[in-house]
Amino acid sequence: MASVDPAEKKRLFERLSSVREIVFGVQDGALTTAGVLCGLSGAVSQHSQVALAALASTAAGALSMAAGAYLGTRAETEVLRAELARVRVDAAAQPYTVQEGLLDELCKEGLSREAAYRVVRLLSAAPKALASTAEAKMFGLSGPTLGRPALDGVVMGVAFLVGALVPLLPYLLITVPRYDLGGALAATALTLFGVGYFEGWLAHRNDRWRSGVRFLAIAMSAAAVGYLIGLAISPLGATAG
Amino acid sequence: MLKPGDPAPPFDLECAVDGRIAHSSLAKISSELVLIFFYPRDFSFICPTEVTGFNNTLKEFTAEQTAVAGVSVDDADSHLRWARELGGIGYPLLADPNGSLARAYGVFDERHKVALRATFILDRKRNVVFSSSCPLNVGRSVSETLRIVRALRTGQLCPADWTPGVEFGPTGRDF
Repeated sequence: MASVDPAEKKRLFERLSSVREIVFGVQDGALTTAGVLCGLSGAVSQHSQVALAALASTAAGALSMAAGAYLGTRAETEVLRAELARVRVDAAAQPYTVQEGLLDELCKEGLSREAAYRVVRLLSAAPKALASTAEAKMFGLSGPTLGRPALDGVVMGVAFLVGALVPLLPYLLITVPRYDLGGALAATALTLFGVGYFEGWLAHRNDRWRSGVRFLAIAMSAAAVGYLIGLAISPLGATAG
Repeated sequence: MLKPGDPAPPFDLECAVDGRIAHSSLAKISSELVLIFFYPRDFSFICPTEVTGFNNTLKEFTAEQTAVAGVSVDDADSHLRWARELGGIGYPLLADPNGSLARAYGVFDERHKVALRATFILDRKRNVVFSSSCPLNVGRSVSETLRIVRALRTGQLCPADWTPGVEFGPTGRDF
């Protein structure tokens, strides 16, 4: 059996907590930028103008996503911290309630009442250990649950930028009409598949190919539905104009 | 929940007492008063404060001709281990695994499948003369229960917060 270093494992879990931002950012950056390139290529004839508009969209998108992730995590963290503080005040005022609640949770997880009682009694010798275990078991709240707003914002912004560069770089490097857009879309599809495959690898799945195809299919379906909605509402724009 | 004046449902249940498993029957209890207290579970954190509280004042209850019995839905083996864990309990802990006695006294919490924290005092005729219940998360007062037992045994009108030595109310009246 492979030995597991708990400290190393804890660091790994902390790193993995950013996977959501990385996957979301890369997927959104790649898909949004590919969409901008496709849309503008139909409306604007000059390659450089399309590239410039896509660059501007990328910069705005990265900043917006970073700010959104920062504000979202901050709001969530503040609410959770406030709840946690309230729980701690209640726990200090009514320690028996916490002990009984933790005991019930341990029984639900398969310990006999007698064994659970002994565990809680041992934990009660160290109020800090009792409180943190009760918070995790009774309310699902623990240190890693509380996000890091600044880190989440930076990771989301950088991930969006990396994702956006995927369709952007082929488009900038290939100047032959139609091949530029084709290269951008192919790179986007390949990257979306790659993100899914990477996610499967992180989750130690055997069917990483399926994970990649599923990710690609979901992302492309979302893009296709968006495109169809655009087509459906375009007559409204013509009427208004 | 039974109230003063109601006849107390009889029981004949397995119990743990003085470090062994035995049987306890209401019909065989000869004391003047009987104090029956229901509690939710063995191996919990509020119940032991009550169970040991009644045990610590058992001499005072005995001096008042009052037998004490605790009841929960745990079986007699659990009661025995629990009593050992608490350092020994000198009154019977009755096993009511299916909650039938708690139901008969109207104090079974169907949601949690445990008895409420309810206290009953029975007189010589085994009618209820006192009943009360607390929420599951609040322990009852042992000293208040002892005060009520003492007040009941006087047979007099006892004003609020009456304790031995305090003057009784007017005689010749029911309340």
